[in-house]
Amino acid sequence: MRYELEVNGRRRRVNVHRVNGRFAVVLDDQTWFVDAARVDAQTLSLVTTPEGGAVPGGGASHTTVLTPASGGLLTVQVAGAAVTVALNGRRRLAAVGDSGLKSGPQRLLAPMPGKVVRVLVQAGDVVRSRQPIVVIEAMKMENELRSARDGRIAELPVRNGQSVEAGVLLAVIGDS
Amino acid sequence: MRTSSLSQPTVNKVLIANRGEIAVRIIRACREMDLATVAVYSECDRTALHVQSADEAYAIGPSAPRESYLQIERVVAAARASGADAVHPGYGFLAENEDFAAAVRAAGLTFIGPTPEAVALMGSKTEARAAAIRAGVPIVPGTEAPIDVNSPEGEVDRIARDIGYPLLVKAVAGGGGKGMRTVVDPGELHTAIRAARSEASAAFGDAAVYLERRISRPRHVEVQLLADHHGTVLPFVERECSIQRRHQKVVEETPSPAVSAATRAAMTSAAAAVARAVGYTNAGTIEFLLDDDGGFYFLEMNTRLQVEHPITEMVTGVDLVRWQIRIARGERLDLDPARVLTPMGHAIECRIYAEDPDNQFLPSPGRIQQLRVPSGPGIRDDSGAAAGLDVPIFYDPMISKLIAWAEDRPSAIARMRRALSEYVVSGIKTTLPFFRWLLDQPEFRTGQFHTTYLDQVLKERNGLPFVEASPLQEDLAAVAAALNVTLSPGSIAAAPGGTRLAAPDRWKERARAEALR
Repeated sequence: MRYELEVNGRRRRVNVHRVNGRFAVVLDDQTWFVDAARVDAQTLSLVTTPEGGAVPGGGASHTTVLTPASGGLLTVQVAGAAVTVALNGRRRLAAVGDSGLKSGPQRLLAPMPGKVVRVLVQAGDVVRSRQPIVVIEAMKMENELRSARDGRIAELPVRNGQSVEAGVLLAVIGDS
Repeated sequence: MRTSSLSQPTVNKVLIANRGEIAVRIIRACREMDLATVAVYSECDRTALHVQSADEAYAIGPSAPRESYLQIERVVAAARASGADAVHPGYGFLAENEDFAAAVRAAGLTFIGPTPEAVALMGSKTEARAAAIRAGVPIVPGTEAPIDVNSPEGEVDRIARDIGYPLLVKAVAGGGGKGMRTVVDPGELHTAIRAARSEASAAFGDAAVYLERRISRPRHVEVQLLADHHGTVLPFVERECSIQRRHQKVVEETPSPAVSAATRAAMTSAAAAVARAVGYTNAGTIEFLLDDDGGFYFLEMNTRLQVEHPITEMVTGVDLVRWQIRIARGERLDLDPARVLTPMGHAIECRIYAEDPDNQFLPSPGRIQQLRVPSGPGIRDDSGAAAGLDVPIFYDPMISKLIAWAEDRPSAIARMRRALSEYVVSGIKTTLPFFRWLLDQPEFRTGQFHTTYLDQVLKERNGLPFVEASPLQEDLAAVAAALNVTLSPGSIAAAPGGTRLAAPDRWKERARAEALR
């Protein structure tokens, strides 16, 4: 079974074969021999052995937690580190606004009640990932809210001076 | 002494006027004393852990705090309706609101905390400082009254010289760092005063400023107290709370690595003296600034149970909430004073928040998908969170307080690191990666830090992400994601003989999960 993945933004190719009750997983040009067991709906236990390892049936133990994230992405936690994976192989998952490997439009919401003190963009502007969009004053501090993706300001309902409750939509960043 | 229509205050059924982890904490203490418990909840807290844990639950309004947890009348009405005879305010919300304490008392209920008069007195910064002076306790040197605009400059210079440089010009009506200026060079004093006045006027509508000595590299060290209604005041071994981000505590520990036995004796005596001077009762904490000469200065008093109280419980074996209830009943403190001043081992607490450390620690509300809490030797987790529950946007986004106890500080740090590595939260972002980094920092490990340390090192990181996967971890994630598709839920590893397992249910499950977001 072949998959095309995007792992933390980088395109990777994965090919999964079953071999004698385990899996041989070819990741780019490296082969992993994996004994995989499902712990629960979100958790997989992987025991990986080197190719032709001296002690079959044993190896490094990795517990991975896979959680669906917005935009059809998957957050995979491995030993405390979180990796974002997009799964777009032969089995495509249609997500809202999905056009291949890009994630869906980002809805920028107010994370807490406060007052909008600066709107740094205009509707239609092209923006980059991590670019500040809106500044909200809350808890006696100014908080810059940033775009999580490259794209274009598709909607900008926020107004300078507006008082917002948590969860209010400030901007929508879509494809450029 | 409190006056009441009851000859002896009763505590048989307790309404907890709070939510989240502290409400669960208080409910647990009540359960252990066979007391009935009543929870109050806002709209979004209907299925929260404290509601699930209590014997009874009463709705008190919409999710916004000012429409629910801050509604004095509604909380008191819920107490009446439930037949509760006592109210515990927890921390935050109404805990230091003297009107609430007075309303509880007026309703004939036992308030598990100090008197409304004590709350009002110590809630005023100037009154509290005056009380400290009366008790003979050093306060941060400063002017007691605002600087008179009509004073000649020479007079202001003299006042400033008496206070000592470096000093801070601070807004009387101030907060949040506005209307504040640091003055190192006496020649800059008047420029700074003018600038601070102008900023204070714009921010608060009140240009009044006062002067206060700036303690260089201060530590924030506090002393827990219990005081009964019979005149006994017991100070506890100090807590070190200097690891703060923008004035918010993130890590606390006890004992402080910077406090000698002599300083402990002096500081805890001073704290007890302040409490005695105002006739304080029940639990409270006195906060001090410690300078690098071992000198300490009274900062303020918190007339409530504090977030970080568990670390004191771990090193003294004393259940502080239980004692709050016993004191409220009129019981006498019978603890050995030496025992509560002598720590057994070392305890550290990390406040785990649903915040994104890679996005300026902004709140990361949402549904917790998985929650695997560490345990084992010396680990305590005080939590109001559970898998499947939401972290709401309306309140402090705390997941839990993670506490590690061990025989000494290095062992406690190792234990905390171990516990942090076991902690799994999915579905939302948390400050766990930040704590794993912090516990590795050399200044933390050697105990050489002060209140500006964390803000400084965070600034030096300049936005470098805390969540950084290694190439191996990225490879494993790719392998896991691909195998996750192959293995349908509930099935075990590959069937023998190479039979391919169909996995159509995975898509339905994911689609359902997507729809819930």
